[in-house]
Amino acid sequence: MSFELSQIGLVHANGQRALRAITLSVTGGERIAIIGPSGAGKTSLLRILATSIRPSEGRVSVLQSNPWQLSGHELKRLRARIGVVHQFPPIPPRQRAITAVLAGRLGQWPWWKSALSLIYPADIAGPREQLARLDLADRLFERCDRLSGGQLQRIGVARVLYQRPDLLLADEPVSAMDPALADLTVNQLHSEAATRGVTLVASLHAVDVALRWFPRVIGLRAGEIVFDLPAVKVSDGVLRDLYASETGILPTQDNQPLTVLPAEEAAVNGLKVVVPPRVI
Amino acid sequence: MSSISLAERRQAMGFCIYCWLGLASLVVVVWASFAYLSLDPMRLFTAESRGYMGDFVRRFFPPDFSADYLQRIGKGALETLAISAIGTLIAAAAGLLLALPASGRFGGVAKSLTRFLLNFLRSVPELVWAALMVLAAGLGPFAGTLALALHTTGVLGRLFAESLENAPREPALALVESGAPATLVFVYGTLPLVTPQLIAYSLYRWEMNIRMATILGFVGAGGLGQMLYYELSLLHEAQASSVIMAMLALVVVVDAVSAWVRRGQIRAGG
Repeated sequence: MSFELSQIGLVHANGQRALRAITLSVTGGERIAIIGPSGAGKTSLLRILATSIRPSEGRVSVLQSNPWQLSGHELKRLRARIGVVHQFPPIPPRQRAITAVLAGRLGQWPWWKSALSLIYPADIAGPREQLARLDLADRLFERCDRLSGGQLQRIGVARVLYQRPDLLLADEPVSAMDPALADLTVNQLHSEAATRGVTLVASLHAVDVALRWFPRVIGLRAGEIVFDLPAVKVSDGVLRDLYASETGILPTQDNQPLTVLPAEEAAVNGLKVVVPPRVI
Repeated sequence: MSSISLAERRQAMGFCIYCWLGLASLVVVVWASFAYLSLDPMRLFTAESRGYMGDFVRRFFPPDFSADYLQRIGKGALETLAISAIGTLIAAAAGLLLALPASGRFGGVAKSLTRFLLNFLRSVPELVWAALMVLAAGLGPFAGTLALALHTTGVLGRLFAESLENAPREPALALVESGAPATLVFVYGTLPLVTPQLIAYSLYRWEMNIRMATILGFVGAGGLGQMLYYELSLLHEAQASSVIMAMLALVVVVDAVSAWVRRGQIRAGG
């Protein structure tokens, strides 16, 4: 069991409700996309899974332990096993790419190794390998403020790949990338999750990316789960419903119109009509 | 066009009645000060005093440029330089150490206590610290170094604390959430955000401290200042004037070096 949420609710300090009665249980190795209009609570849900915020109601269990009953030391060890890709990469601008990637293992390394690593990197091959997966190997020693938004986002992904977490969380991991790089990056997150048998949960604003890559799709609206379906069962109607409050156009990564067969037809054919994956 | 009302004329006048009153009272206060101190500025302009002034200035020339004395000045300048460098270095280290609690990292009580300590260190001027340190540690450069270090710790600690408080928190939080220990979170997630600022503040204070170190000698805290005070006390004007020139040269050189270093820092940062 990767994580289990039962009847989770979250009310922000300003009294605004972000999540309501979320119950979700996920076994190891699943790959899940969370979609929904902006403000639906996607980030809040991921932050609860990342143990960075404590839910106001309900029970959380992440990687077989309740993060809010652990001692400080145990919580650190749990967090070292959870990798989070942030939408806005939280990397100091003057840090070099290699240092930013190495920082993924601060929770695992003895402190002297991390400290010495600031003088001379404790590992060069590792970060280079992870950056190479994301087509960034040539930026290994570049300072992060010399990178573009999409490159910086991939540095953030590389850091989490280097961390080798047992639970991979990603909050809009490809929002600043063009479609080709977005595919490459999501593909790498997937292969990481698949080869190591860990769970990947990603929030995405682009519905087509979610449907193309993720076997299980959860629709979130106004803090509640609207649907939780295998991607093949996600129908046009379900999606229009989810984004009802928005413009009526489904958000996709390159703003191409998205065609999804009605659920019955999809079930008959056993497949969906979406843009075929470019990279597998 | 020609009909401008009285109200408009009044508005057009750039100077208000209170401004006139303020100016008048300023004049009165200045006059009263002169009267109270029995100063007669006119005496500056009599032929007699002009003669005295000329004599006074003439006694400083020619400056003593004998090799022997220049060597002593060189030693004094080095001492001043060393006092300021070590004082600033100690202050930067102590300031960073105190900035951690002062930026609220160890709770509110620690924050108020260290802020109070920093304010205290900062509000006592260098000269007063120097006078105290001469009493505590004896005459000489050690007292000057301590005095600069104490005052500058207060200044830098406060500035560093503010830099730390204003630094974005996201990089540090992300590392906390990946299970990193607190010290490493600081050096990987916060320090890189503030180092350019910390270096700039320290360089700036060093520059100020070199000027200050030349004066600290007046209370016996070593360096060029102490030489100047000594020569002036013995009415050795020629020697005093070479010391003053050395001070000037030192400050000019240090300003140039500091500007050069900072330009390099900015280029490295840009």
